[in-house]
Amino acid sequence: MRWRRDWHAYLFIGPSLLGVLAFLLLPMVIVFVLSFFHWELLSPPTFAGLDNYRRLAGDGESWHSLWITVVYVLLCIPLQTVLALVLALLLNQRIKGVRVFRSLFVVPWMATPIVMGLVWNWIFDPRDGAINSALAVIGVTGPDWLSDATWALPAVALVNVWQYTGYNMLFFLAGLQGIPQELYDAAATDGATPRQRFWRVTLPLLNPTMFFVMVTNLIGAFQVFDTVFVMTNGGPSKSTEVINFKIFGTAFREFDFGYASTLSMLLFAVILGVTLVQVRFFGKRTTYDMS
Amino acid sequence: MTKRILLYGTLTLGAFVAVFPYLLVVLTAFKTQSQLNSTEPWVPGLPPTTANLTKLLGGDFPRYLVNTVLMTALLTLGQLVFTTFAAYAFARLRFRGREVLFWLYVATMMVPSAVTMIPLFLIMRELHLVNTWYGLLAPYVLGTPYGIFLMRQFFRGLPAGLEEAARIDGAGPLKILTRILLPLCRPAIGTLTIITVISSWNSFLWPLIITSGDDTKVMTVALATLNRGIGVDYNLIMAGGLIALVPMIAIFIFFQKYIVRSVVLTGLK
Repeated sequence: MRWRRDWHAYLFIGPSLLGVLAFLLLPMVIVFVLSFFHWELLSPPTFAGLDNYRRLAGDGESWHSLWITVVYVLLCIPLQTVLALVLALLLNQRIKGVRVFRSLFVVPWMATPIVMGLVWNWIFDPRDGAINSALAVIGVTGPDWLSDATWALPAVALVNVWQYTGYNMLFFLAGLQGIPQELYDAAATDGATPRQRFWRVTLPLLNPTMFFVMVTNLIGAFQVFDTVFVMTNGGPSKSTEVINFKIFGTAFREFDFGYASTLSMLLFAVILGVTLVQVRFFGKRTTYDMS
Repeated sequence: MTKRILLYGTLTLGAFVAVFPYLLVVLTAFKTQSQLNSTEPWVPGLPPTTANLTKLLGGDFPRYLVNTVLMTALLTLGQLVFTTFAAYAFARLRFRGREVLFWLYVATMMVPSAVTMIPLFLIMRELHLVNTWYGLLAPYVLGTPYGIFLMRQFFRGLPAGLEEAARIDGAGPLKILTRILLPLCRPAIGTLTIITVISSWNSFLWPLIITSGDDTKVMTVALATLNRGIGVDYNLIMAGGLIALVPMIAIFIFFQKYIVRSVVLTGLK
């Protein structure tokens, strides 16, 4: 009987296993191997040894792209995490209309990033845009936003914050509702101030939620592409050329697939590194049930 | 009292910021070019015009819309079926290699999609599937490790021994899955459906890479390139944006409960 039951299971798993092997594992192997080759599609690939990595080491533009990406991540993640937590705390009360607010805050998450990139393009328009029009009402001249090398990256980051704050708020809300009321009662009996209750009870108990939110948001933010593509196309003067955009350009505009693979490996290493650091950091304080 | 006013003030401001870009899409889509120039962005153009929508729907846009609908439907269907199959096997069947395979799946959850874009394109090129429906759908139609992980958690939560009676009656695994387990899984299925629909509908980078002709071009790619034309016509783009957003808003209104629950389900345990 055993072989028969096994056989069934393999049938059930078959299609997804094909997907995992052919479209996740095989690509990882290919991108790793290709990072050691020169290949511009028209001629066959030639082995390059460490050439691509040597080129990367001296390639200021690529490091600039990585740096831009890190700045982008630092602009988005702290802001949207803190905002989401604050909103969750505000909405974790028994007040009227709380459900309506919760729903409204999640609305941005559903938006097609391409469409929202286009809308925000216009919100940031220096002359007719909503932001500068509103600033003009109070007599302030706003910057050129997307065509200003200083403001373009924060502007793109702001769209990300807009899109994901409410979504993250829901995670925190779920986390907050999982904290037993007795703990707060006990803390209150011991004379803890609201501030102490937040730092000593709420925040430590939100650790699993914080871990999940941080890991998924960071992985997503490091790969930002859609909004950059429609809002700035990497400009002005490469000030928003994030690493994923650089990889895309190297492969599909310059057709340098070998070097683009090397850049992909760089991005992979960074994401893996950042994730492992978080696992270490949060792992000490939380047990995350993977079983 | 002041505290209450402050609280509601903050919440209202936040909600306004959350909804404002949507409002802008709607208002602009129904403005004429001259209304666009003469009114502030947040002021509706009166009388509203449907000229932008008509113009857009008279061109190639409906094709791209149909392609997006088709892509979303096929991806969602495929992912639901194959994800449920795999999750069921991992959660409720015993077989050799189960643990190893499951950890393989969990490990691939870590693979960022940006990193696999280039090799995926090269694989499709090798198979002569660039610019075809197969190429567009193949990488995502077989289910995602993330979805499988989610569903597996749900299947494991169902009481043990649920299948025993059916098995004694001689029902096979497929029958047990469809007749006994699936009806209990509606919340999880609903969640998975919504996540898949949203991510397929909104997907951009892969379609951009793998398609070029009109036969497979999807709406997001069409809108992004509409933006690249000389003299950007905001009304037209916003009309396209409106068409892209309406199904998402409809899903949101009808499935709010699922969405909130989906977050709870994906986020914790």
